[in-house]
Amino acid sequence: METAVKTSKLASLAKHLLGSYDGDQGKNSYVSDIDFPSTREENWKYTRTAHISGKDWQFSKVRSIPEIPLELSEFENRIVFVNGNYLKDQSSLTALKNIDIQTGILNSGTFSSHPSHAFEALSNSFPQEGIHVKVKPESTETVELYVFHIFTGDGVISQPVNTIFAGRGTKLHITEFYIHSTGSTTFANVSCKIELEKGAHVHTDVVQIGSENSAHFQQTDATLHSDSVYTHNLITLSGKWTRNNTNARIAGKGVECNFNGIYIPSGNEFVDNHTVIDHENPHSQSNELYRGVLLDQSIGVFNGKVFVRQDAQKTNAFQSNGNVLLSDTATMNSKPELEIYADDVKCSHGSTTGQLDEDAIFYLQARGISAKSARKMLVGAFIESVIEKIKNRSVMELIQHTVEQKLRR
Amino acid sequence: MLNINNLHAEIDGKKILNGLSLNIKPGEVHAIMGPNGSGKSTLASVLAGNEAFNVTEGEVTFLGENLLEMAPDKRSHLGVFLAFQYPVEIPGVSNINFLKAAINEHRESLGLEPMSAKEFLARVKEKSKLVELDNKLTNRSVNEGFSGGEKKRNEIFQMAMLEPKLCILDETDSGLDIDALRIVANGVNQLRNSERSFLVVTHYQRLLDYIVPDYVHVLYNGQIVKTGGKDLAFELESKGYDWIKKEHNEVSA
Repeated sequence: METAVKTSKLASLAKHLLGSYDGDQGKNSYVSDIDFPSTREENWKYTRTAHISGKDWQFSKVRSIPEIPLELSEFENRIVFVNGNYLKDQSSLTALKNIDIQTGILNSGTFSSHPSHAFEALSNSFPQEGIHVKVKPESTETVELYVFHIFTGDGVISQPVNTIFAGRGTKLHITEFYIHSTGSTTFANVSCKIELEKGAHVHTDVVQIGSENSAHFQQTDATLHSDSVYTHNLITLSGKWTRNNTNARIAGKGVECNFNGIYIPSGNEFVDNHTVIDHENPHSQSNELYRGVLLDQSIGVFNGKVFVRQDAQKTNAFQSNGNVLLSDTATMNSKPELEIYADDVKCSHGSTTGQLDEDAIFYLQARGISAKSARKMLVGAFIESVIEKIKNRSVMELIQHTVEQKLRR
Repeated sequence: MLNINNLHAEIDGKKILNGLSLNIKPGEVHAIMGPNGSGKSTLASVLAGNEAFNVTEGEVTFLGENLLEMAPDKRSHLGVFLAFQYPVEIPGVSNINFLKAAINEHRESLGLEPMSAKEFLARVKEKSKLVELDNKLTNRSVNEGFSGGEKKRNEIFQMAMLEPKLCILDETDSGLDIDALRIVANGVNQLRNSERSFLVVTHYQRLLDYIVPDYVHVLYNGQIVKTGGKDLAFELESKGYDWIKKEHNEVSA
């Protein structure tokens, strides 16, 4: 008698991917006990993955840069990747002291053999090139870096893995662009692992620019040791499907963790931000500020989990998610979740979803400002609290430009 | 300049204006008085283009153009200014950026280049003095955290900046103490000239002590039922509105 074994979608995708994968770890498959999530799972309630799981993706060897909305040459200290491959000739690195930058594939020993979801399993099984930054403890200057991950092609999967290690007391500022080229059908499965040693300051501005057929999954896991300050600004400007898992573990005392985000989906775009901040230790603070502007039939998801463990006394945790729906057909699903096991803490969370204030629009119009400009002004004001946390000028301009473009329609 | 003929307007199906007619010539100051609910603020809102109100009948022309078919911003470009009874707070939009945008959209409608930063700041400095508006307020978010008096002064400041042809003051005196009232009225008086007209909507005669009108109209049941000179305001102050209501109801009956 034969037993029919149903092959999981993840396993068949993994099998298929072996054919186009270049790296050594491709044989190292972690995909056996896991499959793509269904909407019955709480963490994926609003987030369908069928368009990813049901497609025969291929790794790509393309190393030329498609047209993108940014001029690479304007960015000093840039590291450029296309489809998970490092492009040395497009990158430009001046001599940086006390900093070690690698651009290869991490060796298999660094990956967990128990991935928590299909995307992690895929990434661990077929990791591609990414940036690996180590700032040595003796470094005193602020290091500024630009990282470009560009995705292009038809049915192309890319799985860059990035790691950042900021040594004791160091300061690092990284601006990361993830760009799916127009007209492509691309799936990026990005993994970023970040560790801040005692007293380190890391500021990351992450910008995601998708396309009409892009799928973008981005996992960020930060470990924050004592007295470190980590700021992560995550801006999703466009893209058919985007899911961000942004997590921080507060592994020491006196940590400051700031998660900020802006998402501006239009058309049929879908953006999902899941965040977890885990306060394991006392005397730390976390701030989360996410602002969404949703147009047309777009759908947004925000799920912010904050854990305050029993030992994490004197924790300050603040979370706010605000959304403006600019059409009757846009949808926002927002869920803050606090789990508090310590008794001497200050935690607050708030979630609002509404429309632009019609009285304010009339007031501006009565002063000669067109309805269109008035809406743009009010949207700009609405996301201003996040914009002011961004350090990089070109990122601010990109956001303003996108808002203008999207509101013009 | 402004011709209102047989204007009917309603909100949520409720009739507020019932055939109101009024003509204003350049340089004239008209006061509209009347009991609560007579339609004074509705008239102001309809003239400025508030879409919450539905005009069901009648015409309004301003400088020969059909005002009712214009968007509120186009009316503003043409020279209509409404000083709001309840100025709206707009967090995150600075007073200065808002005014710069407003002035430049006005200029664009006239085919002019945006105003230079220098000229703009000079004008802000000059006009904010008119109503003794603190410099700090001009840099704050529009009306956010302003006191009642500051909000009204900000309205007149904006009026001075935009140099309109027809200024509609909707109960600008409400919520003002006597000092703030004097400052606001003083600002308005300095803006009076032979070209600029005013429509002053007020519940009390008090404001008209400072802004002396050429005509006083009494609005009742959505119509102008009595028109007189500035003395009519005093008569209303001492006798109330009941005699007008009575007179009107007798005529209608």
